[in-house]
Amino acid sequence: MPLDTSAYGLALLRVDGRRWNELRRMHVQIRTQAAADGSSYLEMGHTKVMCVVTGPSEPGPRRGGLGGTASGGGASSAQSKDAEVAVSIVVAGFSSVDRKRPGRGDKRILELQSTISSALAASLHTHLFPHSTISISLHVLSQDGSLLAALINAATLACVDAGIPMTDYVVACTAGSTSTYAANDEAADPLLDLNHQEEQELPGLTVATLGQSDRVAVLVCESRVQVSRLEGMLAVGVDGCKQVREILDRVVRDKGHRMLLEGTVERGVGLDDMEVD
Amino acid sequence: MPITITAPKPVQHPYADHDNSMSDSDSDSQSSMGDGGNNYKNVINMIKSESGSAAAAAAVTKKSGASPTSHSEIVTPGEVITDDPQWMRGHGTFVTPATSAIISSVAGTISRTNKLLSVRPLRARYTPEVGDLIVGRIVEVQAKRWRVDVGATQLASLPLSAINLPGGILRKRTETDELQIRTFFAEGDLLVAEVQQLFADGGAVLHTRSLKYGKLRNGVFVAVSGMGGGGGVVRSRRQVWTMEAANGGGQIDVALGVNGFVWISKHVETPPDLLEKTAGITNVEESVSATMYSSQNDRIEAETMREIARIRGVVTALVENGLRVDEDMVMRGYHEAVEMAMLSSAGPDDIYLGGERGQQLAAALTAI
Repeated sequence: MPLDTSAYGLALLRVDGRRWNELRRMHVQIRTQAAADGSSYLEMGHTKVMCVVTGPSEPGPRRGGLGGTASGGGASSAQSKDAEVAVSIVVAGFSSVDRKRPGRGDKRILELQSTISSALAASLHTHLFPHSTISISLHVLSQDGSLLAALINAATLACVDAGIPMTDYVVACTAGSTSTYAANDEAADPLLDLNHQEEQELPGLTVATLGQSDRVAVLVCESRVQVSRLEGMLAVGVDGCKQVREILDRVVRDKGHRMLLEGTVERGVGLDDMEVD
Repeated sequence: MPITITAPKPVQHPYADHDNSMSDSDSDSQSSMGDGGNNYKNVINMIKSESGSAAAAAAVTKKSGASPTSHSEIVTPGEVITDDPQWMRGHGTFVTPATSAIISSVAGTISRTNKLLSVRPLRARYTPEVGDLIVGRIVEVQAKRWRVDVGATQLASLPLSAINLPGGILRKRTETDELQIRTFFAEGDLLVAEVQQLFADGGAVLHTRSLKYGKLRNGVFVAVSGMGGGGGVVRSRRQVWTMEAANGGGQIDVALGVNGFVWISKHVETPPDLLEKTAGITNVEESVSATMYSSQNDRIEAETMREIARIRGVVTALVENGLRVDEDMVMRGYHEAVEMAMLSSAGPDDIYLGGERGQQLAAALTAI
């Protein structure tokens, strides 16, 4: 069903009732799998992904190749000075409306893998773990737009859970524009966090930034859009990333606080005690 | 282990408790109702002004870190711990080249040693330290050494020269030993060892030059979280001990590796006739080492197996309920578990300590 964008101008509400700068509901959890080094579960609206991180660990003698993974952050040889970030994505057959079995080596999946791998390799302190591999396994359970953004956010959280040092969270979010490329509407508004329907019809981009800063780590735009609209879309996307970071950060803090209360981790020195010596 | 995904919480307004920078965009959305919603340019300007200086960005980070809603004792990646140049950075932190601010790189709690600031992660892999007692598994056999998985970020190495060779502690290592390296340890064998040395990159070198260390058999292996953080096995005075099991289980050895790997096995006495024949301590070692590299299990009675399984249940229950694993907790937990089994209908054969029974056990241990 084509998306009716004509109604937007009347009430300034999108198909799912959001305003232009509103994110969808995010439900985030870390440490979903106790046996894994790090794990997370993330919902952005109806996009649901699960992530498991194993490592950093040194692989034993290799038996055959690592099928279906993309690696970044240095050479893939075991003797490299930096840890390798290997990402593998599994898209569940039931995740989208039409059930389809993706063929071996789907080009879209490969691109997602290498994008996530290189984005995280830039933020993670891979130089601390020579000859080792950080393997990130992502499972897509449900798709409703902003898939790359959800995958990046879930992978970042799982790495935080695994205790892998990083410069800052890599947080991602999508942005779009209210009218199509063909409409050539100069007055089109930017939109934050596209759902599947909007992603199909409207121009959109995925932007990932390094935490609170405005440093862009990933920028993917797969649709045609007038360059005059790009700045607005990018600004809204970067602003959305900051909101996402707040949400993710709160989840990590809550988890840490709960662990402190349970006595699983030792209480640290408070920031206020710093001056006393 | 199960995957735990809880139901989403009730919808929370994303702007509910944001600080100034976010309330700006909130007011935009209010005004946008009137003038056609074209106010995103304010957002652009706001972002441009923020990116003006790195110091401003750092200030934003600091403000959000110290806001009253956050829990000040937890730091998260990217959070500025301090910008006072008097402090030195330790593990879990980094400094940007431009500023002297110390920024956390992991989520955890701050620890301070004089002027050294470091962040202990909430959970991480085991990091070896010299003198740690560890349980490991051989993953690779090379010409003069073994590569051992100890649950760290890198494989540890165990050189052929660092093991007790059969035939006496003072025997010289020969080429014959190198050729039959697999007869000592093969892939998949478990061993208990000590960290002898660390490389600059964090790799560990192990040794088993003591009668306490060596190949493991007659027991069961449990992997729980280790000294990296987040509960599990902690460094303590005694990591290996022999305990008297209840219900006719005989004697049981427990080895708690600092890396979180645990070995629980039947205690095997040195045959007394060997001790009689040999006088000196080196001779004892000589005779013992004959059976040292055997992979053949001894006969284990059903009662012993049951008690080994019960101790294993205690260890996993301790970890599941976030309690530390050390000699004291395991012993108390075991006695508690034996009493719980007495009260149950199945009697001593009831060794299940998961779920509610595990919580019951943990509650009984923390109550004292």
